Amino acid sequence: MAVPREGIYGLVAEFETPTELVIAARAAYDSGWRRLDCYTPYPVEEAAEVIGFHKNRVSLVTLIGGLMGLCAMFSLETWISTLAYPLNIAGRPTYSWPAFIIPAYEWTILFAGLSAAFGMLALNGLPSLYHPLFNAPNFRSGATQDKFFLCLEATDPKFDPAESKAFLEGFRPNSVVEVEY
Amino acid sequence: MAHAAPHAKVLPADLSAPSFVKGWRARALVVAVLFAVTAVVLATLDHSAEHIYRAWVLGLMLTFGFSVGGLALLMVQYVSGGKWGLLLRRPLEAMSRTLPLVFAYWVVAGLWMKHLYLWAAVTDTASALKSGLINETEAHAIDWKRPMLQPSAFWITGIVCFAIWAFYAWRLNGMSMRREADSPSNTPYWIKKLENISGFGIVVYSLTMTAAVIYWVMSMDVTWYSSVYGLLFLVGQGYQVLALAILTSISLSKADPYKTILRQTEQYDLGKFTFAFVMLNIYLAFSQFLIIWSGNMPEEIVWYMNRFNGHWAVIATLDFMFHWLIPFSLLLSKDLKKNKKRLMRVAQWMIFAKAFDLFWLIEPNYKDAAQNLHFSWGILEYIAVPVAMVSLWVAYYAWELTRRPLVQTNDPHLAEILEPEHAHA
Repeated sequence: MAVPREGIYGLVAEFETPTELVIAARAAYDSGWRRLDCYTPYPVEEAAEVIGFHKNRVSLVTLIGGLMGLCAMFSLETWISTLAYPLNIAGRPTYSWPAFIIPAYEWTILFAGLSAAFGMLALNGLPSLYHPLFNAPNFRSGATQDKFFLCLEATDPKFDPAESKAFLEGFRPNSVVEVEY
Repeated sequence: MAHAAPHAKVLPADLSAPSFVKGWRARALVVAVLFAVTAVVLATLDHSAEHIYRAWVLGLMLTFGFSVGGLALLMVQYVSGGKWGLLLRRPLEAMSRTLPLVFAYWVVAGLWMKHLYLWAAVTDTASALKSGLINETEAHAIDWKRPMLQPSAFWITGIVCFAIWAFYAWRLNGMSMRREADSPSNTPYWIKKLENISGFGIVVYSLTMTAAVIYWVMSMDVTWYSSVYGLLFLVGQGYQVLALAILTSISLSKADPYKTILRQTEQYDLGKFTFAFVMLNIYLAFSQFLIIWSGNMPEEIVWYMNRFNGHWAVIATLDFMFHWLIPFSLLLSKDLKKNKKRLMRVAQWMIFAKAFDLFWLIEPNYKDAAQNLHFSWGILEYIAVPVAMVSLWVAYYAWELTRRPLVQTNDPHLAEILEPEHAHA
């Protein structure tokens, strides 16, 4: 996505209740908006739903991480026990796989857990040092406390500063603010 | 959520089981008769009824798992609360009310005691040892375990256990109806009361079911013991009961009232809950194996050797795949848990896998089969007898389902379960 680094990032409307936000977001999505996002102080699942956000890839990242942990530990144990440092333990074969299962299982969980946490952050685009929305004067305190925001982004082909502003104002928000990069 | 637009669904006026549940009953009875006939034919072909007795215990353990395991999960949902509990309450109650049939199955197994249990067949160890019927280890074990492993102790323990389960099933089923008839303002009192009974009931259940499985299955091999055995069966009951509960709720959801109350959210939750049992089940089974394998002690390892050597390793490997690998891999998927049809297939598979696992646990206890997997007409009894017994049980269960409204209305979760659900991001 080619992001213009100057000019308008988008228009952000502030709503008093999540219901108003969901109504506005649904109307925007239905009228063809795709580059838009909702910002709320706590998760509002309906908002994510109405702007067409249904799936993410965290589970896939977790699965791959878990499998990598499993293979890594099992291979490590196999290598240590059969090649690097073979020991005779109660006359068992050096490749005694039942004994390898527990550490391999632990690493599966460890890798899956870490992949889920870091994968989630990476897919969220975090950590992020700068986001244009914080230029909106009412955003910083509102989005972390009791206000609900809908942002129509300038990269959407439907974006037009005047027309989009009128569109948002039709939902009677507290305010509509133009956000600069 | 408070802010959601009020699009809550309305509970239908008629909460009784849909008419197709009667069809399940009829079909189950037909299957039961067909397989019972097959079992008799197989016994004639085999010129022996020995495998009928053994397969009977498999059927007993399966139906016991559904009935008493259903009672246990009923108690768990009273203690834990949650919307899934409201969803499953009536089916679980119906499972717990099938106890009389399981009792009848158990009495029959008890009458066949001499065929099933070495400790019952051998009364005089010295002469049995001399005639080569048992070896020295077995003679020693039978002598030392005599206070516990003897017919009267078997009967007394069994009857006490069944009396306790029946008491809890009767109390919980009765109180649930009285709560329904009472005014809604008394609901908090009933919730507390049912919770208190269930909390203690879960402890009593774990102890009594451990005693039962030690007598009914573990004692088939007099020499062997495992301290995790009761827990293994306990988790196994959770495994099969959740599978059956999913199967029941999804099948019922073709018509009201389950069409209205079964939301994707709770279905997904049940899928996750089942996944936890799939995991815990293999965790315990593997722990037991790892400890015994590491110790490699002559008095313990034989149990596994009986189940690995002589081609039994094939069954053990399949058991691992059927019982754990397949349900585990499938239930990992979020989409599958939300898909009614696919989740139902997994639940059906899990019940089959449970039966397969019991086959691996039961059959190698007997001298002709230990370390020697071989075909006989009799081995097919492991299909015929349990299918007949479980089908008869399903007919009973379906009948019990029709005897009560399928939804409890005096429950604070009812309003929530009727709310529209939200997509999970």
